[in-house]
Amino acid sequence: MIALGALLHVKYQSRSSLEITIAVLLPVVQATLAVYLFRAGGQPDRLLEAAVGAGLMGIWSSVLFGSGGAIQNQRWQGTLEMLILAPRSPALVILPITLATALTGTYAMVATLLWGRLLYGIPLDFADPFAFAVAVPGCVLALGMFGLLLAATFVLLPNANALANPLDYPIWLVSGMLVPVTALPGWTTPIAAVLPTTWGARAVREAATGAGPVWPSLGICLAISLGCLALGAAVMSRVERRARAAATLALA
Amino acid sequence: MTSLFRLVGVGGVIAYRALFNWTTPSMFVGTLLVGPLFQLLFFAYLGRQLGVADDTFYIVGNAVLAASSAGVFGGTMAVSNERRFGTLGHVLLSPRSRTAVFLGRALPYAGNGLLIAACTLAGGALLLGLRIPPQALPGLLLVLGAAALSCGFFGLTLGAIGLRFRDVWLVSNVSVTLLLLLTGVNVPATELPAGLRAVGAVLPVTHAAEAARRLVAGDGLAAAAGPLAVEVLLALGYALLAAGLLKVFEAESRRRASLDTL
Amino acid sequence: MSEYAIEAVGLHRTYRSRTGWSRPRRREVTAVRGVDLTVRQGELFGLLGPNGAGKTTTIKLLNTLLVPTAGTARVAGYDVVRQTREVRRRIGYVFGGDRGLYDRLSARDNLRYFAELYGVAPREQRRRTAELLDLVGLTGRENERVEGYSRGMRQRLHIARGLLHRPEVLFLDEPSIGVDPVAARELRQTVASLAANGTTVLLTTHYMAEADELCDRIAVIAGGRIRASGTPAELRRHAEGRQVLEVEAYGVTDRQLAEIHRLPGVREASLQVLGAVQLLTVQSAVGTDVQAEVLRVLAGIRLGRVLGRQPTLEDAYVAIVSATTTADEPTPEPAVAA
Repeated sequence: MIALGALLHVKYQSRSSLEITIAVLLPVVQATLAVYLFRAGGQPDRLLEAAVGAGLMGIWSSVLFGSGGAIQNQRWQGTLEMLILAPRSPALVILPITLATALTGTYAMVATLLWGRLLYGIPLDFADPFAFAVAVPGCVLALGMFGLLLAATFVLLPNANALANPLDYPIWLVSGMLVPVTALPGWTTPIAAVLPTTWGARAVREAATGAGPVWPSLGICLAISLGCLALGAAVMSRVERRARAAATLALA
Repeated sequence: MTSLFRLVGVGGVIAYRALFNWTTPSMFVGTLLVGPLFQLLFFAYLGRQLGVADDTFYIVGNAVLAASSAGVFGGTMAVSNERRFGTLGHVLLSPRSRTAVFLGRALPYAGNGLLIAACTLAGGALLLGLRIPPQALPGLLLVLGAAALSCGFFGLTLGAIGLRFRDVWLVSNVSVTLLLLLTGVNVPATELPAGLRAVGAVLPVTHAAEAARRLVAGDGLAAAAGPLAVEVLLALGYALLAAGLLKVFEAESRRRASLDTL
Repeated sequence: MSEYAIEAVGLHRTYRSRTGWSRPRRREVTAVRGVDLTVRQGELFGLLGPNGAGKTTTIKLLNTLLVPTAGTARVAGYDVVRQTREVRRRIGYVFGGDRGLYDRLSARDNLRYFAELYGVAPREQRRRTAELLDLVGLTGRENERVEGYSRGMRQRLHIARGLLHRPEVLFLDEPSIGVDPVAARELRQTVASLAANGTTVLLTTHYMAEADELCDRIAVIAGGRIRASGTPAELRRHAEGRQVLEVEAYGVTDRQLAEIHRLPGVREASLQVLGAVQLLTVQSAVGTDVQAEVLRVLAGIRLGRVLGRQPTLEDAYVAIVSATTTADEPTPEPAVAA
């Protein structure tokens, strides 16, 4: 059921010309930004890392806006009620949507790398191509599960996007997606350590640049995400009940 | 004449409340105040890590850029949300000056933008320890105001394009990202290729950011006056462009019956 | 298992909203205040009421989308609050309007998705989808995107979706709203045959004729409370002992309407606008002839047909609802019959 749901939601999302165009155009801009920044910083040899980082940022954006936006879209379309009425745990109903957003995020990764190659001649020589090919889907899956926790928190709020918007930069920064930031204040380190985004980004970067072993990072990423999934499912059930008590499901 | 001002003023404010998606306090703070601050922090730390430019460059630049989201999204919301709520037809039926109505809408958003930019600058300076010479403050206010205004009219231009094309959100989302890249605020203009630099020169924020940087460096108002004047001219230009496009697209949509299609 | 498909006792639902943000004021609106309902299995039950009466809220309280602020309800033998998932397995929900479907997907994809979601066995899904598309008459158009569908087609798709998992109880919220008369008639036939096959149906509507034609029993709800319930025949008796005068008129003023209200012998007077003409309906006690007086008040206005007739369900409804509103809240307009 999760597979069917995810595929249908991907189909749904991909039929919006808005989504597709954003998914294709934004990576170009981000790749360009990353490339110029790295060049300006005098590190032209780390361009692959820049492109991969920009791609990761794209996946996270897609999940963040997708999870928050998906709930909102379901509300606007009037389909949220029909989803909640299904005789299933609400987590199982929403998970396909968040997975779909992560899957759509892979457009971003692929697009960024391709644009990087085309426009800036970034060599796509991954240190460990196989690991890369596994790490990216793994990261995507993990973020999809993390998305459920986000979605659960957003269901109760009528205009979820308010929270969604400010969250992309902090996550990009703290997780060290574009580049690991050593100069961050110490209190961010524990936060980064519990975010699946940090470990996922690490795994992907390690696979791309050979800076470290991939599997431990990927393993930690997936483990944390499974935790998020469990937490998200629990929160989802509680939140669904509260939404029914507070009548925010339809808000027509 | 006063009735025109009323139309512009009152009409603008009420439209703002009706159509601005973010007018509850939590949303306002979340999206428009906290967001730009995070963006500033991101680029500042990135800049430190990569050694591209110093903190001042990033703080000032991003603060000015912060005026843009209210303006750009506000401008597009002014038009496209009308369509979403189905009220676009009603507004266009009004016999009064369309131009004044829509131009008036840019003003509250510009006000917003100014507020956001000021807060972001203050926040960034506090958090990252930047010292701003006190005599630069009035000049800075002027510069931020000019930036906010030109972003507002820029947004309105995008909104006017939205009268014609379905997915105006695409345009505004991409624009905001492009502003990030092309205004020389995060990637110094000297690092950009000539073509992109030229595009950046006609976008809002670019010149205002330059003026702001000069002011903060202590160069005084005289040095900043040049770029400031260019920014103001750009603001006027966008206002004219928006007004013109609105007229053109409205006439066209009446012929093609494309007004209420979502 | 009880013999009742739906049992509700003392349902209350209050909505709390906040207005203004510098000095937030909390407002409480009680949409449903003490509703008791019982519906037997296989019955076709109608909930009739003007806009804002609490029909949609009641239905949402019964179908588990809302939690009651007081009171209890059992559907298909299970408590709606404590055994929510059991209830959801056995109910279907259909609502009118444009929303509620995935516009960019086809009808078939929509049904596939919801079939999976609502627990239809995988082996049965294709067959069931095809069967339902046929039942509602969408075969041949099922691969087109829903965004191109007319309102009537969307309604039919809503119904197909509601039936996917063979629910015991079907909730229909204003199913024929905005649907043209021909399509509405087909919809009614579908609903009637469903009930004939043993599905319990609870229907909300403000179309009198629809309720009269379809329902075994009707409850009239207004101002959040059930005002009257019974079979259509029983309800018509609320207007018993009355006769009705109908006058077609062009340009009746409010002042004249008020004056007619004050005429001795007049129980009800209401004005409907039907296109260019107004229909004045005056209810009076049987045997009392108010025609002369009414015509006197209307002197000088162009009149069309004038006729006297027996009261219908609609008149009974108006009588029930107006009795309510003169007692408590400001008048909600009784809807114009389709």
